[in-house]
Amino acid sequence: MTEEEQKLSPKQRSRRNFLGQSLFTAGAAIAAPSLLNSCQNKTVSASNALVEGETMIGLKINGQLKTLNIEPRVTLLDALRENLGLTGSKKGCDHGQCGACTVLIDGQRAYSCLTLAIMQEGNEITTIEGLATEDNLHPVQTAFLENDGFQCGYCTPGQICASVALLEEVNNGSVSYVTRDLTNPPELASLSESEIKERMSGNLCRCSAYNGIVAAVQQAAGQTPPSPAASIEHSQVG
Amino acid sequence: MKRIDAIYHVRGEAEYVDDLPLPAEMLYAEVFASPVAHGKILSLEIKDALALEGIVAVFTADDIPESNQWGTIIADCPLLVKDEVQYIGQPIAIVVGQTRAIAQKATKLIRLEVEELPIIVNPRKAFSQGQIIGTPRIFVLGDVDSAWEECDLIVEGNCEIGGQEHLYLETQRSRVIPLEGNNLRVYSATQNPTLTQKTIAQMLGLSCHAVEVDVKRLGGGFGGKEEQATHWASLAALAAWHTGKPVELVLSRSDDLKMTGKRHPYSSDFKIGVTNEGKILAYEVKHYQNAGAYADLSTAVLERTLFHSTNAYFIPNTRIFAVSCRTNLPPSTAMRGFGGPQAMFVIESAIAKVAETLDISREEIQRKNLLRLGDSFSYGQKIKTNSMRRTWLEAEQTYNLTAISERINHYNASHFETKKGYAVMPICFGISFTASFLNQASALVHVYTDGSVSITTGGVEMGQGLSTKIAAIASKAFGIGLQRIKIESTNTTRIANMSASAASVTTDLNGNATVLAIAQILDRLKALAAKELGVKDTENIAIAKEKVIYAGKETDLTWEHLAKAGNLARINLSAHTFYATPGLEFDRDREKGHPFAYHVCGTAIVEVTLDCLRGIYQIDAVKIVHDLGRSVNELVDRGQVEGGLAQGLGWMTIEDLQFNEKGELLANNLANYKVPDIYFMPDLIDIKFLENDDNSPAPYGSKAVGEPPFMYGIGVFFAIREAMKAFQPQIEFAFTSPLTPERVLCELYADQLRQMNSHGDRIRLK
Repeated sequence: MTEEEQKLSPKQRSRRNFLGQSLFTAGAAIAAPSLLNSCQNKTVSASNALVEGETMIGLKINGQLKTLNIEPRVTLLDALRENLGLTGSKKGCDHGQCGACTVLIDGQRAYSCLTLAIMQEGNEITTIEGLATEDNLHPVQTAFLENDGFQCGYCTPGQICASVALLEEVNNGSVSYVTRDLTNPPELASLSESEIKERMSGNLCRCSAYNGIVAAVQQAAGQTPPSPAASIEHSQVG
Repeated sequence: MKRIDAIYHVRGEAEYVDDLPLPAEMLYAEVFASPVAHGKILSLEIKDALALEGIVAVFTADDIPESNQWGTIIADCPLLVKDEVQYIGQPIAIVVGQTRAIAQKATKLIRLEVEELPIIVNPRKAFSQGQIIGTPRIFVLGDVDSAWEECDLIVEGNCEIGGQEHLYLETQRSRVIPLEGNNLRVYSATQNPTLTQKTIAQMLGLSCHAVEVDVKRLGGGFGGKEEQATHWASLAALAAWHTGKPVELVLSRSDDLKMTGKRHPYSSDFKIGVTNEGKILAYEVKHYQNAGAYADLSTAVLERTLFHSTNAYFIPNTRIFAVSCRTNLPPSTAMRGFGGPQAMFVIESAIAKVAETLDISREEIQRKNLLRLGDSFSYGQKIKTNSMRRTWLEAEQTYNLTAISERINHYNASHFETKKGYAVMPICFGISFTASFLNQASALVHVYTDGSVSITTGGVEMGQGLSTKIAAIASKAFGIGLQRIKIESTNTTRIANMSASAASVTTDLNGNATVLAIAQILDRLKALAAKELGVKDTENIAIAKEKVIYAGKETDLTWEHLAKAGNLARINLSAHTFYATPGLEFDRDREKGHPFAYHVCGTAIVEVTLDCLRGIYQIDAVKIVHDLGRSVNELVDRGQVEGGLAQGLGWMTIEDLQFNEKGELLANNLANYKVPDIYFMPDLIDIKFLENDDNSPAPYGSKAVGEPPFMYGIGVFFAIREAMKAFQPQIEFAFTSPLTPERVLCELYADQLRQMNSHGDRIRLK
């Protein structure tokens, strides 16, 4: 034992010993350079050598083409978060049950945890990070902000992406389960609360900021929402 | 004022633990957990897992250098269990790999041999076998034994109350970075940074100062990250300490559901005695709390059950018995309301049973017994507000309860297959940690020379709007614009020894500490301003709208100038202050004292429509009058009331947390554990805030708002019950929650079900 090691407490020594052992016992894994590569450089560029089992794909995300090496089984959500550093899309369940990972694919909403990244080559993917410009928020983002459409904020990127798609769907004349007259699809200006609720029912908010979310969609649809937020603005301190 | 972090949320920039850029060489930890609810571990074979390419290490109890025991109240819970597993999902080992997928794969290669032992899932059975945590406790007021004789009517009954999953959308997670000298920095989604720090330090034999815990925000907590976030942070820390690499541990949704504790299920007996006029003379209740396998916060939750057993009512003679029972379920833990909701459900059930027996309305009895200013609780404290009655009367008048009642009676008389029901739900909730020592907080405030301000408190932002409220309080206290104020992450190196962000008091405590810090800095700056203005009376100096005001008149001195000049004049532009709620004490030998700084009161009216052929129901309206004091931010407060209400409604109706006889959670994903979605929300939520100044020691006369509105949700149970009664008046329905549509149907058609059963059909009422 060196003098320096003797100064360490037994616990500190044990940590050093452990490290030595672990490097020995799991030596093969630690030494495998390909694995270390894939671990160290999560955002891999096209020039990087492919690791066995990985495929190089190109994704059009928020207007930019990104190439990445991934296994074919990687979901779009994991590719966004772990390979591309786009962590705005959230993983709430990884089973398509909560909606926190909602993104837009060719303008349509999709649960990014339920689709494989490799399936989306050639498609236009828009995430929450791609909705605003440097200076201007997307109108739906503004509406969520102004109508308090969140509390903890974890579901918010998914809620916003879903709302953006919702507006587009209504513009395109899509009907929903609660549309009374299927020959007469609703318009944005007169989109009812129950239509909004039906069309937003794929996104959970455990804080239950649902009233704010409905109001946000109403505002983004060009309606005047019965938002509690607007009417109490004056009474704040500060 | 909008939420201070709103812009980050809508742009997807808001940082949660695993959104931070990946550190180099980060490793991923996955948990290997017990597959049985009770058993003796015979052998644990990790060889195959270790041999998998990409696996760096597998850690078991043997790798914990110092303390493997943790727990705030009773340190009875092992971080990694070695000998005897006590619940399904109990961590036995962690696997550390270079990717999450490899670590997940390796957990399946661990071989465990267990000798299964008998299990207990029912709290009454646990009690009968002496399996309790802490000691049973009894609160007494008056003389309940002799009071029974004076009662005209005595009814008895029992309640079976279901648990609740927190279902924070951000599952439990932690990322730990090793630092020089064996120190660790822990990014954790925890409501309790200090507990996380202490537990990790004790586990590794480190000093507290060697462990830094930093929390930016949580994706929901609801109590689920008050105690239990610590477990996952500790396991990640263990791996980071041993390997010397950054380690991240994120529970998958199914692991989170399986491995973490939930709201306590209760089984309770009540006996209540009233006069013919509906005056409650005596109430006796026994609460058997299902605490799960370890102490966690169960005894504290139980204490709040004792405190709130008579809810909003004055009952001169009460005896409240409560006991935490040890079962083989995951350790039940804190959740919004913290034992209060279960207590209130039981007294409301007792009142319902009296009303049904006397054939009078529930609200007639409720109204007659509401707390008045100066009434005593069983724990000796007197209520110092009359807002219980004020909110009730205001709700009754504003929302015209008589008209609601008539409208619903008329509807029921003219409809057969659908019925409506309503219920009034008053709440009275004590504000303070019931462990008095926890009612303390600190704030650290810096003013920079450009006039911008940085504030750290011991509170954690989890969506409850703490940051927004602290910023609003600071803006008002300094007299400067909000854009100058930044609320920092919660960090154990900036604030030491903090209490958990819990018990609805986070803003009260940390807001008060912030006000004190700002006052210190302002005092120094006002002296400087007086000097520059050539006056002596600093008491006539104020700052408003970023200008120095002297004797009511605006001067040329600006905030920015003061900040810069303060630095040149060598004035301390920082303050670290401490606040402790005064006047709190509770004597657990006598079970008497003054545990609460104040009480929050309110009244809700819940209306429902029930489809009596299908058992499904719609919540038509919830109309609330809530005592908020003077709101610091009404937007945030409204969100808390709506969100709390929704969670309470969910707990009473659709959130069905079922365990099978093996102690296995059947609700293992969001498809079979339903939480309120956008459809579930009441068609109408009307909220009226009762503004008043009485009875609040919180900043600017504001009041705690996080938990109390949860309990308005209890009203929905009784509203549905009224509708069921309208359809089947002769049936005595159970006081069993949650009242799922399935349960409604089974109760409405219990006779038919019994007949079908006797014919050999396999339909059973659970």
